[in-house]
Amino acid sequence: MKVTFPHLGTMHIFCKAIAEASGIPYIVPPETSRKTLTLGVQHSNECICLPFKIILGNFIEALRMGADTIVMVGSGPPCRLGLYDLVQKVILEDMGLHYRWLTIPPRLTWQALWKNYEETKELKKELSWKNILLFPYGLRLGWKKMMACETLEKLAMRIRPREIQKGETQRRLKKALSMVDEAKTLRTLDQALERGKRLLQGTEQDVSRVPFKIAMVGELYTVMDPHINRGVEQKLGELGAEVTRSSWFSTHILRSLRRNKADQASERVRFFEASRAYLGYDVGAECNVSIGEAIVRAQEGFDGVVHLMPFACMPETTASGILTRVGKDWNIPILTLILDEQEIEGRIQTLLEAFVEMLQWKRKAG
Amino acid sequence: MEEKGRIGIPRALMFYRYFPLWKVFFEELGWNVRVSDGLDKRGNIVYLEDSCFPMKLLVTHSLVLKTQVDYLYLPRLVSLHRHHMMCPKFRGAPDIVRLATDGMVPILDDLVDLRVKGHSMRESLLKTGKRLGAKEAESKQAFQKAEAFFLNFQKRWLERINNLPIKQVFDLEAPEGVEEPEKTFRVAFIGHPYNLFDPDVSKEILTFAKSLGMRVITSETLSEREINAQLSDLSKEVYWSSGREIVGSLFHFLSGGVDGMIFLTSFKCGIDALLQELIRRKLKRSGKVSPPLLILSLDEHSGREGLMTRLEAFRDVMEERRHEFNLTYVRST
Repeated sequence: MKVTFPHLGTMHIFCKAIAEASGIPYIVPPETSRKTLTLGVQHSNECICLPFKIILGNFIEALRMGADTIVMVGSGPPCRLGLYDLVQKVILEDMGLHYRWLTIPPRLTWQALWKNYEETKELKKELSWKNILLFPYGLRLGWKKMMACETLEKLAMRIRPREIQKGETQRRLKKALSMVDEAKTLRTLDQALERGKRLLQGTEQDVSRVPFKIAMVGELYTVMDPHINRGVEQKLGELGAEVTRSSWFSTHILRSLRRNKADQASERVRFFEASRAYLGYDVGAECNVSIGEAIVRAQEGFDGVVHLMPFACMPETTASGILTRVGKDWNIPILTLILDEQEIEGRIQTLLEAFVEMLQWKRKAG
Repeated sequence: MEEKGRIGIPRALMFYRYFPLWKVFFEELGWNVRVSDGLDKRGNIVYLEDSCFPMKLLVTHSLVLKTQVDYLYLPRLVSLHRHHMMCPKFRGAPDIVRLATDGMVPILDDLVDLRVKGHSMRESLLKTGKRLGAKEAESKQAFQKAEAFFLNFQKRWLERINNLPIKQVFDLEAPEGVEEPEKTFRVAFIGHPYNLFDPDVSKEILTFAKSLGMRVITSETLSEREINAQLSDLSKEVYWSSGREIVGSLFHFLSGGVDGMIFLTSFKCGIDALLQELIRRKLKRSGKVSPPLLILSLDEHSGREGLMTRLEAFRDVMEERRHEFNLTYVRST
């Protein structure tokens, strides 16, 4: 058995940790590249959303490298994400690739547990008692690593607009993340995180700068994965903007575990409430939160909002229409970036530069 | 009865299934129902967001109506089935139209969600009736009449779609058309009703198909059981009711009864994009001999000429196939 999983931001770091700590063999798919995307595009329909294509590409590459068990987070209606596995399974079969599929249920219901039981029945035979006993430790290490990555990324978002040498923070962040990645136990992880933090804080900074405050909202996959959004977060930071986002792994995991009392989750409730003025019903996925977050950020005095969505995304299309009005009503510039498989990195750079320049004029004028 | 005012129903989306029901209901309550016309000659469309073609048409039609009516009727169709739901875009549709019309006209957007108690089409319409100032008994009576009319309309569906020009199918005053001469091919047209029966989306493909000697068959004639039977072996349940209808009816017709199938989708339709891939691959893998399938993807830029050529070629394929397999045409409706 060789387990594999799709790429999404820093997900491979903690997925790897879970597998490694519990002694399960795994294969990390090669870093998402042009080739991954091409594979995904080639084997799917033009109007299927970008995350589908990239995840499919990841799976194809991993299966060709020898993986045989796919672990994928499930999701529910009404968005297409909930049916990714249905279609991807047929595509992989049609391509002649062999795999086993394991879904992590989005919500812990009896139905989901039953389905999971069916799926894991075969797999369990290949796992030893050692694997199963070590699994809780693996989960704990994985969770800690995830939180460590998030801490480092959040720190980098704050430092980036103040760095003196462009690109320095990104270099240091990469190094810090790889230190977290290399830590094997909970104790060494704590040390790695401390070293990583110090490394990032050691970046030469100009503290007198007053960076723009920009919020990134939108479909979670495009917000969280730098390969899909072509590094919007980094680009904005290097243009002198302090970026904030509310989409993190921890947000979404806590949300699906219905731990609504946690701070991050209640923040989402606040966003949701704010969107009611424009949207009378829960459209699904991140749509309402995108709108609500833009409104709340405007109230909080942010300088701008960048809205990200994959081309032809069903829920976010509604959001993008409403966000144009939100921008006018709340006097906050909103830039919507629609992402697809085309070579758009240069275009995004230009758009972001223009956006930040506009913020500069706005600041000067008022 | 004195007329109370005008209610506008945009000629878009689920208009193409429920219009008879809605129209009779409001007329019974004493309201004049106004429907928008198709696009003008130049085909101008207005839209707020970069959505699929049918959504853009909804906004365009609503903008035409906004100065002519007292209310716009645009129910929030979350689900039209006990377990399954509509496309997420339907959920925000009334809000999008509200923004587009700048609040110039009040929108009757009562929720329809068959998964939840108290939100059936009937209850939603009764609520709307109440908002319009009708007594409950009046509304109930109106709905009864409307439902009877609607069921009758559905029974006559195949005749209507085959005998009437496509633009008059939803013109309820139109006389029942003349019986068309016997057709050589039975062709199943599959897709969302707002793609198939909207002349602006489908470029009147049905009219052209009929002139090529095809008898039109749609998934409206299938029972839910027949559709579900085709979906039971999928590894996960398709949760969009329209998607189920498409996949289920397609596989149903594949197993026989028709000479060919045409699947009409509009560009950027999320549901169709995903399911299209599923259908294609499933067909390829099943390896069975089946009637030919043509998938047409349309948007506001599609021209009629290209469509005609493809349809003619499709007829030739069906003809070839009939010769090859020496199939005899089974006469039945």
